[in-house]
Amino acid sequence: MHMADALLSPQVAAVMYAASGTAAGISLSKLRKEDAENRSIPVMAVAAALVFAGQMINYTIPGTGSSGHMCGGMLLTALLGPYAGFLSMIVILTIQCLFFGDGGLLALGANVWNMAFYGCFIGYFFIYRPIMHSSLFSGRPEKSAVRSRLILASILGCIITLQLGAFSVVVETSLSGITELPFGAFAALMQPIHLAIGLVEGLITSAVLVFVYQSRPSLLRDVESSDASAQKSVKSVVAILAVFVFLVGGVLSLFASENPDGLEWALFGNSDAGYSENMGLDEEDFGIASNASETAGQIQENTSFLPDYSFKDSDSPAGTSVSGIVGSAMVALAAVGIAALGGYFRKKAFKG
Amino acid sequence: MNKIDSAISEFRQMDELASGNSPVHRLEAGIKLAVTVFYIICVVSVDKYRLSMLTMMIFYPLLMFQAAGLSMSGFFYKLRYVLPLVCMVGVFNPLLDTSPMMSFGNVSVSGGMISMLTLMGKGIFCLMASYVLVATTRFDSICAALGRAHVPRVMVTLMLLTYRYVSVMMQEVSVMSEAYALRAPGQKGIHISAWGSFLGQMLLRSMDRAQELYSSMLLRGFDGAFRYASGERAKTRDFVFLTLCLLSFAVMRFVDIPELIGSFFV
Amino acid sequence: MIEFKNVSFSYEIDVPVLRDISFTIEKGESVGLIGANGAGKSSLLKVLLGLLPHDGEISVDGILLETKNLPELRRRMGFVLQNSDNQMFMPTVFDDMMFGPLNYGMSREEAERKVDSVLERLELQSLRDKYNHKISGGEKKMASIATVLAMDPEVIIMDEPSASLDPYNRRAVINLIRSLEQTKIIASHDLDMILDTADRVILLSGGRIAADGRCRDILTDRFLLEHNRMELPLRFSESY
Repeated sequence: MHMADALLSPQVAAVMYAASGTAAGISLSKLRKEDAENRSIPVMAVAAALVFAGQMINYTIPGTGSSGHMCGGMLLTALLGPYAGFLSMIVILTIQCLFFGDGGLLALGANVWNMAFYGCFIGYFFIYRPIMHSSLFSGRPEKSAVRSRLILASILGCIITLQLGAFSVVVETSLSGITELPFGAFAALMQPIHLAIGLVEGLITSAVLVFVYQSRPSLLRDVESSDASAQKSVKSVVAILAVFVFLVGGVLSLFASENPDGLEWALFGNSDAGYSENMGLDEEDFGIASNASETAGQIQENTSFLPDYSFKDSDSPAGTSVSGIVGSAMVALAAVGIAALGGYFRKKAFKG
Repeated sequence: MNKIDSAISEFRQMDELASGNSPVHRLEAGIKLAVTVFYIICVVSVDKYRLSMLTMMIFYPLLMFQAAGLSMSGFFYKLRYVLPLVCMVGVFNPLLDTSPMMSFGNVSVSGGMISMLTLMGKGIFCLMASYVLVATTRFDSICAALGRAHVPRVMVTLMLLTYRYVSVMMQEVSVMSEAYALRAPGQKGIHISAWGSFLGQMLLRSMDRAQELYSSMLLRGFDGAFRYASGERAKTRDFVFLTLCLLSFAVMRFVDIPELIGSFFV
Repeated sequence: MIEFKNVSFSYEIDVPVLRDISFTIEKGESVGLIGANGAGKSSLLKVLLGLLPHDGEISVDGILLETKNLPELRRRMGFVLQNSDNQMFMPTVFDDMMFGPLNYGMSREEAERKVDSVLERLELQSLRDKYNHKISGGEKKMASIATVLAMDPEVIIMDEPSASLDPYNRRAVINLIRSLEQTKIIASHDLDMILDTADRVILLSGGRIAADGRCRDILTDRFLLEHNRMELPLRFSESY
């Protein structure tokens, strides 16, 4: 779900930086209050490093031959709490951006928002904590009830926060005016794919959390139910989920109905192409791997049924002219010259 | 598992590159960071049909590559997974935006074609600029520069510590993956039955490690405040570089130089 | 001078880890702390460093070990962890070495001078700006000793300094330890290394002191060692 710099306009990027920056500021001040001696810094660093490394593990999905990965927002939240978890995710995303080219410097604010904010804050306050404190599964023995809540919270949390993240990618890209792909079609491409990714991530997260709960429950947030008065009813969970489903469903259907062509197009195109990751919003190693090699050909096949749409503004700013092309060609020539000369001198220096 | 091992070696390669010595390496980290961000903003904000303006922007990363002694092939190899995806972003444009923009004889070029090329160019240029930054600047220098720019110390320290442990953890994941693969031949990854215990085990060990690390900090006088050496400060040379870059990016961004050059000939 | 008076410690009630430990270590002494796995070596070190609580009385240079004196005491004691990766938590050797001195109030220039002089003394200048994740195990061990020396401790405490080092690096570490003039406490299973680095040995067994005496006396006492699940150092064993 990492967005590249080229996908965002500077304005949208700045807004996302401001939003993520605010969330980071709040997290820092909360952390300062909770932990004046910075005891949690080593734990945060080591957990972040582990999640970073853990993202590279292939988890085989039974019966599919493909493998899933995790992104870790919910996992860090359950371990460190929302504030420390959010800050750790920022660090992970920054290192990924710098060292692996996943996302870009300008898009970092947006990526932090899409991948860390939802997972940590929405995931914790609206999903993880309410579920862990609810009376769900209370008919079962204590341990088993907590386990079930953990599983439910992880799966729901990952699915919902990934949906929000994917939707934000669509909104941010559309607001930036980068791609000609209609909003509805784009959303219809992104959301179902991230449903599957979220489900797999949720399963992985729940497996890890259940393991930790069984071996060292003190590491997890909100699993000790000693405080009986804190228990909320099932209603609050259901209410939160209902609001969420209503919101997402409403927004999606609104866009879908405004743009039926786009939706149709997406569904049509989607049915026979492995589009999943090909939007450039997802590297192939996030989520379920798709067969990228087939895609290029399929996109070309799909061109045949595309009507002659024209989405371009009629009064767009001056386009490229012939003189522009001539000039560009000269620039390109100069660039090639510089590269060749540089290579020549480097080889020479190497020999000498 | 191949993936994690190649990540480890890429990580090391970047360190190796960043520890090199060239005029670009010697520039102060904060200045380089600022220039890179400004460059990306300039590139990204170019209008989607202004392909000619964009072409001029290649000079910054290109000259930096040369001055720093970075190889183009190294860049394309490292970003072999990311680049195609960046290029994919625009592939819908020619399909959806077919209004002709210009024509050579009877071949007409659509606006979508131009905007796709512009988008790809933007993607590649931004990646090149970021690559220049990371391949010529040590991570600890970037962190030190962030610290001087008043990024909260907790954040900077967290970055430093995480960076330190990323390679330790990747090593551990690699060892555990190998141990797993040796006992589970023919599996492409971790089977569902071991999903929880695989990462869970590592997590428990990591928490013990964090405890020990904290002890180590305490024993060296850590009292909750972070004090560390703050690295090199920017010199006149760095500010000259900054001014030159800002000026030339601004000119390239607002004046379509290639078109100007072309207009002399056409 | 380090003094333990009837020190005990337990993680859980009724499962004592250290029982009634008493000893005195004079300034400049080099003491080997030996014992089988679970004998209480690590716990004893952690108790001394104030990382674990204790019953009884511990004092260093006459200062009682209690919460309010911890910073003062820790400043006098340098601890070299068994796992250098846990000890060296900053990205570079230099940053790591600066961490302690800066925390103890040295100015940046002073601390940098100190770091450089320690590196020079240990002939490790080449490691100065290296990343900790890129240096070898042997270098990491030497560097982690250097981080501790940069704080100018009066007592150096080491947990298994020779563990997982190759013979060459092990020898280098032994030579380094021998060259240190500070009071030293070295916990290890590597009795040959203890023989080369310590003049006195404290043998722990089941959380108690089983023997305390001259290195040569204890490490040649086959019966005593084997009774406490240890073996004679290789150079004294008959098959050697």
